Amino acid sequence: MEKQELETIIGTLGKRMNRQLKEYLDVCVRCAICKDACHQYVATQDMTYLPAHRAELVRAVYRKYFTKAGQFMPAVYEARDPDEHLLDDLYRSTYACTGCRRCMYYCPFSIDTQWVISAAKAMLIAAGRGNEMLGQLADAALFKGDNIEMFRDNLVEGFREIETQVRDITKNPEAEIPVDRQGADMLYVALAGSHSILPAAIIFNEAKASWTLSMFEAANYGFFFGDPDKARLIAKRFMDEAKRLGVKEVVITECGHAYRVAELFYEAWAKERMPFKVVHILEVIDRYVKEGRIKVDPRGIREKVTYHDPCQIGRNGGIYEQPRDIVKAIAPDFVDMTPNREKQWCCGGGGGIVAMEEFNEVRLKSGDMKVEQIKATGASVLACPCENCRLQIGELNEVHDLGLRVVPVMDLVVEAMGFGHAAGTTGDERDAAEAVV
Amino acid sequence: MSDTKPDLELDLRGLLCPMPMVKVSQNISKVPVGGTVRAVATDAGSMADIPAWAKSTGNEVVQAEKVGSEYVFLVKRVK
Repeated sequence: MEKQELETIIGTLGKRMNRQLKEYLDVCVRCAICKDACHQYVATQDMTYLPAHRAELVRAVYRKYFTKAGQFMPAVYEARDPDEHLLDDLYRSTYACTGCRRCMYYCPFSIDTQWVISAAKAMLIAAGRGNEMLGQLADAALFKGDNIEMFRDNLVEGFREIETQVRDITKNPEAEIPVDRQGADMLYVALAGSHSILPAAIIFNEAKASWTLSMFEAANYGFFFGDPDKARLIAKRFMDEAKRLGVKEVVITECGHAYRVAELFYEAWAKERMPFKVVHILEVIDRYVKEGRIKVDPRGIREKVTYHDPCQIGRNGGIYEQPRDIVKAIAPDFVDMTPNREKQWCCGGGGGIVAMEEFNEVRLKSGDMKVEQIKATGASVLACPCENCRLQIGELNEVHDLGLRVVPVMDLVVEAMGFGHAAGTTGDERDAAEAVV
Repeated sequence: MSDTKPDLELDLRGLLCPMPMVKVSQNISKVPVGGTVRAVATDAGSMADIPAWAKSTGNEVVQAEKVGSEYVFLVKRVK
């Protein structure tokens, strides 16, 4: 390795070296409790995916360049240079990590392996070894944001088409999808596809909410890539729009990492306090259901339903009960998975791994525990408020022939609002009608 | 749409954004430089995503158009 490359890698780790990272690198006692917590290690038994091993690769470099013992007796203290072999290993273990932080929950010292992973990604990017696909997706998002006028007409045309669908479904000719509306109470930050706009627009219109869309979307591949500057710039687009429009709340769609970026990281990255709250759309829908602002049939979903806690919303975002309350309000046959909430198994689809073909094998294998959890519930519908989780569980559904319907929670809510059936009919009435047929 | 026969055809119907862009990105290296990928998607978001990806990666969207309820792209690998 050339001296300049080595200095760049070490300098990058040095910039990340704060008290938190230093503690995580110092305190691991190799108890290996994390081995039973990581879905990838449990499924594959491959050391590459052991959380302690992922962090150990960074620790080896840390000891060599940031501790006296490692500098003077590297062999004794297992201190290493970031050579080609180490960087290859680091790449595989780092970009395969879904960032679920289940290992942190079980670690007796609460070592946040994902925090170490973020330092590892910074080192890899400094070495020119960042994941190419995630980098391209982040750059495409930045380009789109920088040149939004180039895409505005297409986007607005798409919004108008969805608005027509909303009017058709709700039979409400006044239903609308406001765009860039100054003074709206809420800015809804959706994904690029219509699937994340249509159900939300139906619910907002029925609740007579004051809301608006902007030109900017929630997905943030800069976060998955591991570049906080890119991640901040991607999120800055909609955060700046929220400020400009004067909204009271930024409502993030059913997307795990986008919620975590906006709610938990953005203010620290931007070094600025935002003049609005960031909430997840399921917090808003839960509010609407409990306040009676939208009418839902308590027996609207008659199949057995289970709920998957996406790691970025649940364990890393603290939202456990609102989605369950919503589902229970529309589906009497609700059953939770075991374990659940903070102990929920990662489905294996987070961290951008669904976009990286090179990890397909470990990704699908690492879904084994999720498959067993789902089978044990006997549910035929899985409510899941995260795009990456839905992609992964959708694929597991096909591979393992689970016969599941994998749907966003807000889609189930719209189903329970009764637009697909004769208005005003209840689940009981539909059951009776079908029994007659 | 161009009459040029593409080097690779991608059926991306049913995939939700950003997966159409991801699939084009994953497959562009399977055609030679100067070759083309024809992709058909159904998610409206792809009309912004795929051109943005092409611009940021230095590739070229030769054509992008809506045909009925589908979005059809011809992407040329430039490098």
